[in-house]
Amino acid sequence: MPADFVEERRRAALEVYEREPVPTWRRSGFWTTHLRGLSLDDLEARRYDAVGSLEELPDVVTDALPDAGELSGLIVQRGASTVHSWLDEAAADQGVVFTSLERAVEEHAELVERWYMRRLSFEEGKFPAATAAFWTGGAFAHVPRGVRLKRPLQVVYLIDEPGTAQYAHTLGVVGELADCSIREYCLAPDFDGQALHAGAFELYLEPGSRARLAHLQDWGAGEVYDISTKRVEVARDAHCSWVPIHLGGRLTKQRLDIVTAERGSDMRHTGLYFTEGSEHLDLFTTDLHEQGDTTGDTVWKGALTGESRASYEGLIQIERGAQNTHTYLQTHSMLLSPGAKGDAIPSLIVETDNVSASHGGTVGEIDEEQVFYMTTRGISRRDAVRTLVEGYFEEVVRRLGDEALEAIVRERIAAKLTAAEEQVVAFTAER
Amino acid sequence: MSLEIKNLHVRTEEFEILHGVDLTIRKGETHALMGPNGSGKSTLANSLMGSPAYEVTAGSVVLNGEDMTEADPDERARAGLFMAFQYPATIPGVSVANFLRMAMNACRDEPIKVKEFGQELGANMDLLKIDREFTSRYLNDGFSGGEKKRAEILQLAMLKPQFAVLDETDSGLDIDALRIVSDGVNAMRGSELGVLIITHYTRILEYVTPDFVHIMLDGRIVREGGPELADELEDKGYDFVREEAGAARAADAG
Repeated sequence: MPADFVEERRRAALEVYEREPVPTWRRSGFWTTHLRGLSLDDLEARRYDAVGSLEELPDVVTDALPDAGELSGLIVQRGASTVHSWLDEAAADQGVVFTSLERAVEEHAELVERWYMRRLSFEEGKFPAATAAFWTGGAFAHVPRGVRLKRPLQVVYLIDEPGTAQYAHTLGVVGELADCSIREYCLAPDFDGQALHAGAFELYLEPGSRARLAHLQDWGAGEVYDISTKRVEVARDAHCSWVPIHLGGRLTKQRLDIVTAERGSDMRHTGLYFTEGSEHLDLFTTDLHEQGDTTGDTVWKGALTGESRASYEGLIQIERGAQNTHTYLQTHSMLLSPGAKGDAIPSLIVETDNVSASHGGTVGEIDEEQVFYMTTRGISRRDAVRTLVEGYFEEVVRRLGDEALEAIVRERIAAKLTAAEEQVVAFTAER
Repeated sequence: MSLEIKNLHVRTEEFEILHGVDLTIRKGETHALMGPNGSGKSTLANSLMGSPAYEVTAGSVVLNGEDMTEADPDERARAGLFMAFQYPATIPGVSVANFLRMAMNACRDEPIKVKEFGQELGANMDLLKIDREFTSRYLNDGFSGGEKKRAEILQLAMLKPQFAVLDETDSGLDIDALRIVSDGVNAMRGSELGVLIITHYTRILEYVTPDFVHIMLDGRIVREGGPELADELEDKGYDFVREEAGAARAADAG
């Protein structure tokens, strides 16, 4: 029997979904994100059978996955269906729960109910409502008090057919003094046609816990729209390092929030994006400090090629009474072609005193002095430009703290630079 | 084998800076180019390397008989020309070791073997008294002025060019660092290297004795001589050169 707390929310969310029009997001300046290109009515949830072996999945998934021995658990959702779900026995023996959210709602109803949508609301808009109303499959991770998992828990959301609408919900809870890594990869092969991923992600870190969280989005060259909300809450003396990475998607509109909710909580947020072709990326992140004696450190870097658009706005918000908060946010965006447009907007709301909050944002191009310097060492302009872009990202990649992911990111950036090489070199030489 | 600068005229978008410079450096020779600030010394260095900030309007740069006036900077480097920058650029995300390997491989047909590279790097770092941890830092990122200059000379030592231009390598160095850098340059001098030391002060020339000294003023070389010219300059200052050049011009005009 589906649990009532889920069904009630589905019904209420459906009302919001039906009431709300398809949104257009506008911000000061040139920036608008709209969905006029998306034929929402032509998309549908697609069901798939479970796979016997991961080899049956497309290469984009198997290429991104380490050997099973390097994971503590793996859930793969294809379209609307959980097609693979595995948890290491030793982890299960320690009380770790890692299964589809659908199953967790049945098998661990009490535990799920305590956390489910605690920090997410279907009132936030049409798409958060759609996800709350329509999600299927999903993922649930619970690492109990004091358990330390050496190897990551990994969730993969795969879309491999045009016409797919995927409503995804991941819920994670890291118990007191527990320690774990969680990866969520959103992947698609290159295909012709449209698809939608409307995602909800929530992670709760209980007091004294530590978590490393990675999001990798690479929706390929198809027309995949990603409209998602991801929220992380860090309780007393807990620490979260969060690394969202955006490497592809026709249109992405995401809100990523990290809340240091209790004293002594600390977060480190390291983001990266690379846009190409006609991709459109619109990110809004919040570094929210609800209580004092909390710390934050946010760095985002991106690069744009082709006719792509990328906007990053990062808000630091320090609430009333959250004294002695120390936080920092910086964002950089590098334009690599004449047709690309981007912005990098840091903003600040501080409702208390005795805090330190610094922020900075730049939008720039490759520095010709750096290119000249490198070429005087015999390095070709082409190699110099490539090295400078890779070096620009390297500072962020080094912060990821996940070697397998770092390798994927380096390899993907290198491939994207190769694809855009002619225009990037021409652009830097023209100026 | 020589680096020949012939009647070189160089301009920026706004105005002409070099008004016909002639200077020939043969392999094995060390030349000093001296002059006050704004006389065109750094413009000469940068245009020798093919900086896109400058335009050569007349004259030529010839390296070992080959005209390089229109060549791209990387071609010049591969042909054996090197400049130690006065203000080297920062290359974030690229370690000193990786940068050196990339540059060395760009200048050779076969990539250098890891072991050979490590040995050469170790030897040259000892020569320049550079800590081992230095090589894993991003090139010039957060380097002190002295560290940047040493990193430039380390590149010179590793790349082994035929001709090296040292653009104000002595500026901003304390006496100890100046001695280390000078010792490094002296160790590299020999029949296989021609050196052009560009400097405002005579200080570095106490450690690296030049074979020839040239004095530049307002985009022209106005005096040339042996090492004794540097001493004369030390005694009398640039004003005397300026007066002399003014008198010569007045005489020409008269």
